[in-house]
Amino acid sequence: MNTIVVGAGFTGVQLARALIADGHRVTLIDRDSDRVRDIGNLLDCEVVRAQGNNLDALEKAGVESADALVAVTDSDEVNMITCALVDAAYPHVKKIARVRNYSYYAVTEDAARKYAEKFSGDRRPPFGIDWMVNPDVEVAKSISRSMAHGAVGGVLEVGMGVGIVSIVVGEGSCLNEMPLRNLATAHWWRHLVVYVERAEGAELAGGETVLHAGDRIGVLAKLSEISVVAKLCDAKIGATSRLLLVGAGDVGSHVLAGVREKIDGSLMGRFLDVARAAKSFLTVSVVDDSIDRCRALAENFRDVNVFCGEVTDVNLVREENLGQYDLALSVSDNYERNLITAAYLKTCGVTRAVALTANADVAGVAAKMGIDVVVPMRDTVVDSIISHLRGQNVKSVHTVCGGAFEIVECVVPRSCKAVGRKLRDLKLPGKALVLMVDGLNEGERAPNGDTVIPAGATVVLIVPSGDRRVVRMFAD
Amino acid sequence: MPAVLIRSIATVLFGVGTSFLLPIFVAWWYGELRHIQDFALPLLACWILAVLFWFRGRGKGGLGGVQNAFVIVGCAWVAISVFGAFPLYNCGGFPSFADALFESVSGFTTTGASVLGDVESLPRCINFWRCQTHWLGGMGVIALAVALIPLLGVGGYRLIQAETSGPEKGKLTARISNTAKILWMIYFVLTVSQAALLHWSGMDWFDAVCHAMSTLGTGGFSTRNASLSSFANPTAEWICTVFMLAASVNFGLYYQFIIGRWSEIRDNTELRGFVFVVAAVVLGVTALEWTHFGTLATAFRHSAFQVASIISTTGFMSNDYTMWRPSSQLLILLLFFVGGCSGSTAGGIKVIRWSVLAKELRNQIMHLLHPHGVFTLRINGVPGKGDVVSVIASFIFVYFALVFATAFIGTLCGQDVFTAFTASLSMVGNIGPAFGKLGPSENLGALPMALKLWYCFAMLAGRLEVYTLLIMVGRSLNRGFSKVTD
Repeated sequence: MNTIVVGAGFTGVQLARALIADGHRVTLIDRDSDRVRDIGNLLDCEVVRAQGNNLDALEKAGVESADALVAVTDSDEVNMITCALVDAAYPHVKKIARVRNYSYYAVTEDAARKYAEKFSGDRRPPFGIDWMVNPDVEVAKSISRSMAHGAVGGVLEVGMGVGIVSIVVGEGSCLNEMPLRNLATAHWWRHLVVYVERAEGAELAGGETVLHAGDRIGVLAKLSEISVVAKLCDAKIGATSRLLLVGAGDVGSHVLAGVREKIDGSLMGRFLDVARAAKSFLTVSVVDDSIDRCRALAENFRDVNVFCGEVTDVNLVREENLGQYDLALSVSDNYERNLITAAYLKTCGVTRAVALTANADVAGVAAKMGIDVVVPMRDTVVDSIISHLRGQNVKSVHTVCGGAFEIVECVVPRSCKAVGRKLRDLKLPGKALVLMVDGLNEGERAPNGDTVIPAGATVVLIVPSGDRRVVRMFAD
Repeated sequence: MPAVLIRSIATVLFGVGTSFLLPIFVAWWYGELRHIQDFALPLLACWILAVLFWFRGRGKGGLGGVQNAFVIVGCAWVAISVFGAFPLYNCGGFPSFADALFESVSGFTTTGASVLGDVESLPRCINFWRCQTHWLGGMGVIALAVALIPLLGVGGYRLIQAETSGPEKGKLTARISNTAKILWMIYFVLTVSQAALLHWSGMDWFDAVCHAMSTLGTGGFSTRNASLSSFANPTAEWICTVFMLAASVNFGLYYQFIIGRWSEIRDNTELRGFVFVVAAVVLGVTALEWTHFGTLATAFRHSAFQVASIISTTGFMSNDYTMWRPSSQLLILLLFFVGGCSGSTAGGIKVIRWSVLAKELRNQIMHLLHPHGVFTLRINGVPGKGDVVSVIASFIFVYFALVFATAFIGTLCGQDVFTAFTASLSMVGNIGPAFGKLGPSENLGALPMALKLWYCFAMLAGRLEVYTLLIMVGRSLNRGFSKVTD
């Protein structure tokens, strides 16, 4: 694939690096000559010095034959103008723009949604931008996703009323000492064990795997049957009932919009459907040190306790019992302080803590500080742009088992080679499992070797993190 | 005097004068030909004055400052009260012009306290006019003028704001004259429906129409000495109960209902508070009066009627509540402090103000429990404006200052404390009946002249929500009417 990246900042360079590693051809465009020279030495790609919105320069960089254009300069306006300009001349190029200003983003997304039919087919989307990426929203989505499953061991929804519940096998469970081969034929077990997490590491479930008490297993089951699974495992589902959000800024309110209904029926919550599972929080509290941000939040959301103060203030922690919370999200715009805050709340007794950071490099430090999950701002943006460039067929990617595996939900296009073939004949490479093809039928546990892949089917896979080979088989 | 003031008063006078045609028609219909001239002379005077004023005030001047709106509304209300008193005085049923003026003010402000003990001896056209003043004053004469005669121009919204009740005044539609038309149309339809229902329940058309006008305006004048109780018609009492309550709900909500915005009604803070207060007091009084009336049905009917009558600030009587148990009387007295909903024809402090204060109280308690907590005050589901609490608190301060001053003047004129205080609540709240020596079966005829005139002021001040008259009096004492750029 041939991609043009406008703007060689952190995101642009990371993006180019990842695309080059994937074997794509990349052209970087930036107007700063020093940066152009440095990056030319650093990356194996063409780097052009030009204004991003200069059509001549873009044409010289080969925009006509490009598959995609990604505009990630510092200026939202330049990003949008560049896309609009290129779209006028070359509508076939896929365009992605980073838009940091939430109101630009929300209004455009909203219009695109409202007039979905008008903007399809030959008619181009608003400003010719196929996809807008707003860092705050992407991060909020990522946090909501990790809330919806991993962060506190809940249920990961994979669509069509089915979810993967992460659960620990108890001492008194009938699954204890049970080989999965036997389990698969048991009439009382109608679910699918997906993975097994133990002290020695995580593995995909196979026929030889034997379950032991204390194993954390991922079970694919209908959402309505999760309680049955929990009973069989002799376990209680550790529902998160108390959520503490530190930081009432943009990211904070986006995350909140996924958890609580926003009053004016507004734009924010609409982009966060992923967090439906997280709506079960009984108590949601927000702490911020700015009274204006606190007021705005308190006015916009119902059923949210808002406290104004420093979260590290002992009095506040004592008054409001902050140590009693099950999950703390530290999402202020001061990334260094987020780490301190998350670590501090852990010492106060919060069960799980998530911190928003600038990039992924601090993950090691964060782990030493006892922080459970780090959500890196910049890497999240790069990840979502890449997953978007890889193909529209991937609907969602969730990481499980502490990052060892990914659950991928994708739609099989008509032109895919896998269409009409049996799973057995596809010869999936590496360690991967097909968990579900077009939902779960009654009495059906999982796809087997004889399952045929229909065109347009939604396939849910589990693959080792970063291994794209299987996913590619279900793409064009 | 600035042109705009004269022009506005001319418009309102023309409107009120023209409405004299209705009682003239009634007089002709019932053969009270002798009384046609009682109305015809003020009618002519109104028209002539309106025309003179109109030519005098012709000009392009806009409304000018917002203070002028208060002055215009204040002057207009004084003017219509005076002109409305002429037919009453002319007919000879009232001992002095001051008594007729009191009756007229009591009518237009929808108070419904009468100086006459015997109204049945009055000609029918006069009784019709008394109820008609309620109907005109209920929804507001300025609103009617804006709706029918689009001469007041761009300042109409400010004028209606100065006339309507309640702390938050919204426009239902973009154009204020459309809003006024819609509200008057709803008002008219409700009145016609009630009149039809009352006629169906057994009243003759004259009584039905008079009582419908009196109910919808939440006034309280009746064509009978013993008010509703003289009909001994439980069905009619229930109809009045329902319509009194209907008239004390914000009329804007009916519009929301018609255009299908149900959520507006569901989330309406004031309506919730109103329903809660009505239900609680009706149940309480019913329980207390059960033994007094013998049967539950009768106790329920009378308590529902009296609760509706007082909270809607109407003042009809189905049974004299001063004969009830003291506990029931106290519950009824509580309603003297409440009043109807904002944007309705009812008077009083208004439910929304108490709702907001109750919510603020809750927030204050929450703040004591959670010193770092941030709490918002929601009205109708949306956050209230920052100063809404202080605006309401100062209104309530001014309101009670006026109540106290009125009560003090009452005691100076020889009333006992309880009578003076409840009568003053009743006058400022535009209710009508009070307790003690001015209970629902009494009339105010025997009061000293000075007190009657002060009550006129109190009723007008209460109807225009205190501020309007305070500003008007304050301005005329200070600097007079400000110059309007022309």
